[in-house]
Amino acid sequence: MRPVGFSTSPNLVLRLPMWRSRLMLFLLFFVFMMLLLRAFWIQGPGNAFYEAKGVRGTQRELELPASRGKILDRNGQVIATSLEAKSVIAYNDTVPDDLAADKVQKLASLLQISESELRKKLKEDRKQIFLKRQVEPAVAQQIKQLEIPGIGLNNEYRRFYPEGEAMAHVVGFTNVEDRGQEGMELSREKELAGHPGQRRVVVDRLGRVVEDVAILQLPQNGKDLNLSIDSKIQFLAYNAVKDAVEKHHAKAGGAVVLDTQTGEILALANYPSYNPNDRKYLSGEQLRNRVMTDTFEPGSTMKPFTIAIALEKGVVKPDTNMVIGAKYLVGPKPITDTHPYGNLTIAQIIQKSSNIGTAKIAMNNLSSEEMWDFYTAVGFGQAPKIGFPGAVGGTVHPFKKWMPTDQARIAFGYGISGSLFQVARAYTVFARDGELVPLTIERSPEAKQGTRVLSAKTAIEMRSMLESVTEPGGTAVKAQAEGYRVGGKTGTAHKLVGKGYGNSYRAYFAGLAPISAPRIVVAVMIDEPTGGSHYGGDVAAPVFSTIVGETLRTLNVVPDNKVKEMVLQDKSPEEIRTANVQTQQVVLKR
Amino acid sequence: MNRATLTLLALLLLCALSLVAAQQRARKLFIAQERAQIEERRLNQDWLRLEYEQRNLSKSARIRDVARNQLRMSPISPERTLYLKEAK
Repeated sequence: MRPVGFSTSPNLVLRLPMWRSRLMLFLLFFVFMMLLLRAFWIQGPGNAFYEAKGVRGTQRELELPASRGKILDRNGQVIATSLEAKSVIAYNDTVPDDLAADKVQKLASLLQISESELRKKLKEDRKQIFLKRQVEPAVAQQIKQLEIPGIGLNNEYRRFYPEGEAMAHVVGFTNVEDRGQEGMELSREKELAGHPGQRRVVVDRLGRVVEDVAILQLPQNGKDLNLSIDSKIQFLAYNAVKDAVEKHHAKAGGAVVLDTQTGEILALANYPSYNPNDRKYLSGEQLRNRVMTDTFEPGSTMKPFTIAIALEKGVVKPDTNMVIGAKYLVGPKPITDTHPYGNLTIAQIIQKSSNIGTAKIAMNNLSSEEMWDFYTAVGFGQAPKIGFPGAVGGTVHPFKKWMPTDQARIAFGYGISGSLFQVARAYTVFARDGELVPLTIERSPEAKQGTRVLSAKTAIEMRSMLESVTEPGGTAVKAQAEGYRVGGKTGTAHKLVGKGYGNSYRAYFAGLAPISAPRIVVAVMIDEPTGGSHYGGDVAAPVFSTIVGETLRTLNVVPDNKVKEMVLQDKSPEEIRTANVQTQQVVLKR
Repeated sequence: MNRATLTLLALLLLCALSLVAAQQRARKLFIAQERAQIEERRLNQDWLRLEYEQRNLSKSARIRDVARNQLRMSPISPERTLYLKEAK
């Protein structure tokens, strides 16, 4: 082997081609350029993506809760309020399959469901499932303390109605999502509903909020709603109706109380009712707000309007005498009265509620157009616009289609229909010296301007006729309220069944009090009273009496009828207390 | 390094430290505010709850029952009422 010197190795003599090192240099340069470009991209135009990633790691959007407005009565008493509650959610992927039996048992008892039901829910093939909604905060706290993985709590609200059944048809109720379903809750949904806001915050590693970034949307709490209803009057009206329905084994009943000066609805009661706090009963018949949504033939409660037209025209006077007779033939079926009368004055026609008398006045003195005009002017045939869902207007057929037999029967309230609410509203005409007052369900205690539809003279004449109905000889002596002069009109209407009249009745009473200066109008309806009398004067009038007496006392209206009085001179409360009440006339020194 | 540089350096350090301190304070205040807001909400809810409870205790149905059954009261009626009238 030829020796080769170290420094003269032939390998070292080999010269590498220049292009290889150039290529290497270029590649290195290229890679660095790429890095530079990438760095430039990340810092510059491509930055938004990374920023968003960064933000997602540290920022969260949180909901700012907003609550639904309260509903208050005219005295500021709460009749519907939302309280915080929790919904219990199970994230079924996270809940361990081998959950300890005692924990399942505890959870089931806290949720008030059976253990097997709970297990079934937890096994369901869904990502998340509501175990229970609207759980009370105290119970929710106990659930939280069980520390079961995969069981979470969400904030929500639950609506409470302290007045329960008595107020149910006025306020209505909300569904589980806190949205209005019935009554005021539904019709004033827009104002009552709250709109949750949103804010963005910075959170730390443990998820605690450390900084506010921005409020994306301000939360808007729902507005409170002040109703014109008086809880006390509502309660007593509801109980009066309830007692009457139970006593007369009736199907249903309703009453409405109006303030004649302000046009406010003080009470609107329906029976049967339901408890809006209990979701089990929120469907079916008892939800019907009969006062507003049921139309019926007003029967005799219509007579004062027909006679008022004749009085207004000047064709009759309250003391005009009329021959009545036992029958009055218009069309195929004769019109009769419950008792035959020989002669009656106009005032007595109202007092005795004579069908024949009213029909004769209408046929002899009034045109169908005049009648139609007046009935429409006092609100029949148009749905009252006070924001009750389902309020109906009833029917007043166009007068051109009236046959003579129609005209005669419409005069005493058959062949025309309206709701109890409309009847009550129409009676404000007599209470307010001929003005029809606009009604409202929202609190507005100032006196209102009405629309004149009748002269004051006619209204006052009619008032004294209505008072005579409740006096001895009238059809509704039972309507009298102690301490107050009252007036009103009974009504007993055959119920329409299919196309004809069946064997069931509706009893009404509509009236006003006190007569000397009417403050309230009350209308009462009892549907299908059975067992005993079905007449308005026997069934509905006592309810009217109870409601009027107690309402006027609640409103502190001075009695205008005979009461025990004590005249005081220069008195002090202390002296009044020690005064001898037996003498009823006390003169005290200052 | 001359005097001016040293002074500026000291100032810079001071500013930096005070910034850290201010941030720390801001966070603390923020947390306090956050807590206060939660507390406010809680108290608000409590108030609503108490208002509801008060209403529940003062509702007409309960008053009637308590008055009739526990206190043995009976409803007023004009029959048993003496109306006081001011002498003219």
